[in-house]
Amino acid sequence: MNRFLDKPLQYKIISICVLTNIIIFFVNIFLLLGINSMSVEMEMVYQDNRNLNELSASLTSVQDSMTEYLSAKTSDSLENYYKNAQRFLMLTDKLDDKITELSFGRMERNIKYMSQNYLDEVSQTIEAKRGRNVEKYRAYYENSTAMYEYINAYITSLNLELFVNNSKHYSELNTAFRHYEFISFIVITLVMAGNILIITSFVSTMIMPLRRLADSANEVAEGNFDTELPELTYNDEIGTVLNAFNKMVISIKQYIEKIRESMEKERYMQEKELMMESHLKDAQLKYLQAQINPHFLFNTLNAGAQLAMMEGADKTYEYVQTVADFFRYNVNGKKTEATIREEVTLVDNYIRILNVRFSGDIGYDKQVDERLLDVPMPNMILQPIVENAVNHGIREMGDKGKIILKVYREDNNVCISIFDNGKGVSAEDIEKIMSGNWQRKEHQYDNNGIGMDNVISRLRLYTESENSFSITSEGKDKGCEVIIRLPYDERH
Amino acid sequence: MYDMGKKPLGFIRNKLNKSNVILSLTILFVILVIVVGLVIFRFNILKYNVPTDDKVYDKYYVMITDNYKSDFWQEIYKGAFEAAKEQNIYVDLLGDNLPTQYSCEQLMKIAIASKVDGIMVYANESDKMTELINEAEDEGIPVVTLYSDNTHSNRLSFVGVGSYNIGREYGKQILNIIKDKDQKSENTDSEAGDDVTNIAVLVNSSSEETGQNILISAIKDAIEQGGEDGDKFSFNIITIIDTNAFSVEESIRDIFLNSNDDIPDVIVCLNELNTVCTYQAVVDFTKVGETYILGYYDSDAIIREIEKGTVYATVGIDSKQLGEYCITALSDYYEFGNTSQYYTADVKLINQNNVASYKKEKEAQQDE
Repeated sequence: MNRFLDKPLQYKIISICVLTNIIIFFVNIFLLLGINSMSVEMEMVYQDNRNLNELSASLTSVQDSMTEYLSAKTSDSLENYYKNAQRFLMLTDKLDDKITELSFGRMERNIKYMSQNYLDEVSQTIEAKRGRNVEKYRAYYENSTAMYEYINAYITSLNLELFVNNSKHYSELNTAFRHYEFISFIVITLVMAGNILIITSFVSTMIMPLRRLADSANEVAEGNFDTELPELTYNDEIGTVLNAFNKMVISIKQYIEKIRESMEKERYMQEKELMMESHLKDAQLKYLQAQINPHFLFNTLNAGAQLAMMEGADKTYEYVQTVADFFRYNVNGKKTEATIREEVTLVDNYIRILNVRFSGDIGYDKQVDERLLDVPMPNMILQPIVENAVNHGIREMGDKGKIILKVYREDNNVCISIFDNGKGVSAEDIEKIMSGNWQRKEHQYDNNGIGMDNVISRLRLYTESENSFSITSEGKDKGCEVIIRLPYDERH
Repeated sequence: MYDMGKKPLGFIRNKLNKSNVILSLTILFVILVIVVGLVIFRFNILKYNVPTDDKVYDKYYVMITDNYKSDFWQEIYKGAFEAAKEQNIYVDLLGDNLPTQYSCEQLMKIAIASKVDGIMVYANESDKMTELINEAEDEGIPVVTLYSDNTHSNRLSFVGVGSYNIGREYGKQILNIIKDKDQKSENTDSEAGDDVTNIAVLVNSSSEETGQNILISAIKDAIEQGGEDGDKFSFNIITIIDTNAFSVEESIRDIFLNSNDDIPDVIVCLNELNTVCTYQAVVDFTKVGETYILGYYDSDAIIREIEKGTVYATVGIDSKQLGEYCITALSDYYEFGNTSQYYTADVKLINQNNVASYKKEKEAQQDE
């Protein structure tokens, strides 16, 4: 069944038409055969009577030709007699001599023997006539004529009985024929009904998946991509269309998903960019608030440096130049990104300035992997951390305070470590700083203005990682280490 | 998504299975209709084509009589037919279904020409019959004369009734009648002495049978031997002309019409038809009680008349036995080459005294 349903649509439709037609054809053939057999039967009903009439006619012709010969003795009549006798003998030979329950059968038997007897008598008559035995041939003639009459009587009687019987048979056949007509009508009607059922069920079986396809196509058209997809039924044309439709719906869904994902990503990127910018702006704003006019200050410092050079005060020149460089870093870039090298240089400058300010109190040590200095990172990161370490860690330690800056590679990260051997930070404070809940003290002086929370959030935005910033401290007076982890891209 | 599709999948499969079932059922149904239609049709045709029971018999005997329609002969035929059937032999009452009515002689000719295996013929003593019987015997066809003999011929055997016995029975009944009459006349009339009893025996013109003669002489013997002194009889033989079909009835009526006061007191009938005609005539001429009828054969009509008293007595012949004896004779001939020359069937006298028990007996036989 299913193998049939897997065949092409055209094949199926043709098959059904052919099947129903074949059924009707066979039914008709059977009905026709029935009609044929009945009509043959009807034709044969009176066959017995016809045969008997033939026999009777033949008998009469024998008798006639004999009489003719007896009266005229012509050779023609003799010849006729032989011919007729031969024919009559042939016909009587065909008669059945069985003794049966039926009176026809017994009459037939009697007719047969009487006819043979009659033929004997007739031939004896003829012989006697030829031998001119007048007395004998008269006697024979009388005998044979009597026999002729008896046979005729028998034939008539048999004919009549057969006719009555055959008429009965005929009318029975007629009734049968009427019944047959009725049965044929019923059979044809039932077969037609059956055919209609076959066609209906076949067609609905074929059309059902198409209808389901139409339903789900409508749903998809209304935007419901999650509608249940029509089940693949058979491998016909409809099955192919169904398959294609299902594939189409699935791939549309996947495509939509992709677009949605990429749009989300883009939006996220834009958001990130905006946040970076806004934080930088915030940092710059703070910075600008602190240094009212950096250009003015920078120019002023430059002028001071030149003055110091002209006066031959090299140290002063260097100091003023360092201060000028420190401030230029902020003034120069409106960009958010810098290299590690630039950041490290800024820290150097800052430490140098502080050392002049606090007369070389701070021990500054650098362990830098030169290969990593070109790795990009957000700007204004290291300096505030170092500033923090100086202000909160080693400010009150005098010349014992020490800061170690390390740049090294760790797996896929570039790590920047700023270590101070100052007061250390308690675990609670570390927790507060990391979660951005650190309450800055009011009126804090000597502060560049950029808070740790700003630094941390910018770093996290840039690296998209929570682990990019960490603080470790082993306890009170045991110092503190800040480690920044930047993703290392081999291309740099 | 696949999980979502699981439920409808089952649903579709169900629907598919359902439609498959419907389809198979429909095809089955169509085939069934065709087959059933054909079967019904075949049966219908067969019903009309019932092949008639073509039982084939070994031998074919014919029975020839001139009055095959009478109860008497039909009974004989029935007896012969049933006896023959047991031996797979078919017996035909020849001439029964022929359009013209043939005489026994003509039927004999037909039977000989038809080369039957045996003939039972209601013969007579005519030379023609003798000749035909001999012709049949020459052809190798055994002939049994039935009920009436042809003594000169080479017939195989004669099956009949003991005419002498019947005659004596009739004689006894006549004596009884005379006694009855005497008693009556003594009661009513003093001059009864010279009362002469007229006895008439109806004899058919065509048959000059020995049987009849024996019968008549037996009656005479019985009356003479058993009669009391002083009884007077006049004994006549009335010939009934039976040359054509209706003459019997007419000649019997003539007895009553022509003979004025000379109507016989006792009429002895020697066959069934004569009996029927006579009792009807007696009734019509209001001679019941005056004319006594001694009938022949025990047909239902005659038995009824005995009950009424119209017919004084009748002779019941076991006609079936007659038929059976014919078959026995013919079969014996085929089996042993010869058989007994005479077969005599039982005879029973029936009068008002034993008619009731006789009827019962007969009914019991028929019920069997």
